[in-house]
Amino acid sequence: MRTQEDQWLENLYRHTLPRVAAMVYRMGGHLEMAKDVFQDAVIIYLEKQQAQKLPPGVSAEAYITGIARILCIRQLKKSGPELSLDEMTENIGVPSDYYAPPPVARPVLDYIRSAGKRCLQLLQAFYYDQHSLSDIAAGFNFKTLHSASVQKYKCLEKVREQLKQSDYAETLS
Amino acid sequence: MRKLLAETQEIEQYLLHEMPASARLLFQARMLVAPALREKVRYQRKTLQLIRWLAREEKRRKLDDLLERLMKESSFHHSITSIFK
Repeated sequence: MRTQEDQWLENLYRHTLPRVAAMVYRMGGHLEMAKDVFQDAVIIYLEKQQAQKLPPGVSAEAYITGIARILCIRQLKKSGPELSLDEMTENIGVPSDYYAPPPVARPVLDYIRSAGKRCLQLLQAFYYDQHSLSDIAAGFNFKTLHSASVQKYKCLEKVREQLKQSDYAETLS
Repeated sequence: MRKLLAETQEIEQYLLHEMPASARLLFQARMLVAPALREKVRYQRKTLQLIRWLAREEKRRKLDDLLERLMKESSFHHSITSIFK
């Protein structure tokens, strides 16, 4: 089922991606770069929106285009005309860990993903999507907020232990 | 909530900066003398990083699918690709 966000994203791609692509072209970038920086800019925008950290009075299109421009400069390894890249990045708020490599090796990642899908979904809903506990309780069919909260901590412990064990296994091998 | 879960909750409050300053200092002091607690904090931090990383990867997949669908429309495809010709 299409959500309101799906529709919003589609409109955004239809109207803003061509503008960002034209900007990337003018800056000397290519099509794949335009797709990548636009996608990253959209994700960063959604994260800021979720955390209520968007600057007031700036439209989604302006914010996303601004981030895409900075990411494009990064990729092209050029400096902005007035600000250093670090200053610009900080001002517009590209998360410092955005381009970080996966925190664990791929095989561990795949194992954790396959072994605890529901747990990961629950943790993601809480920590990344920042849904309220009552929404999570309803969405994951918990009878009470307390049981949703307890399950969240159990899941945290489970994944935390899996990460610890995988580190130990790596040390031993 | 059982003791272990209460500790996980406390670590969460520390990592998410949801602890009052005095409790935070106390917690940091406890970490200094308790390697097991320090280790739990380290892996719980890594767990939160992992959740964020996986969530972003899922979001990228979703947006890839959206773009792939839109690019099948000739007018949209043209509006993007013609820029680079």
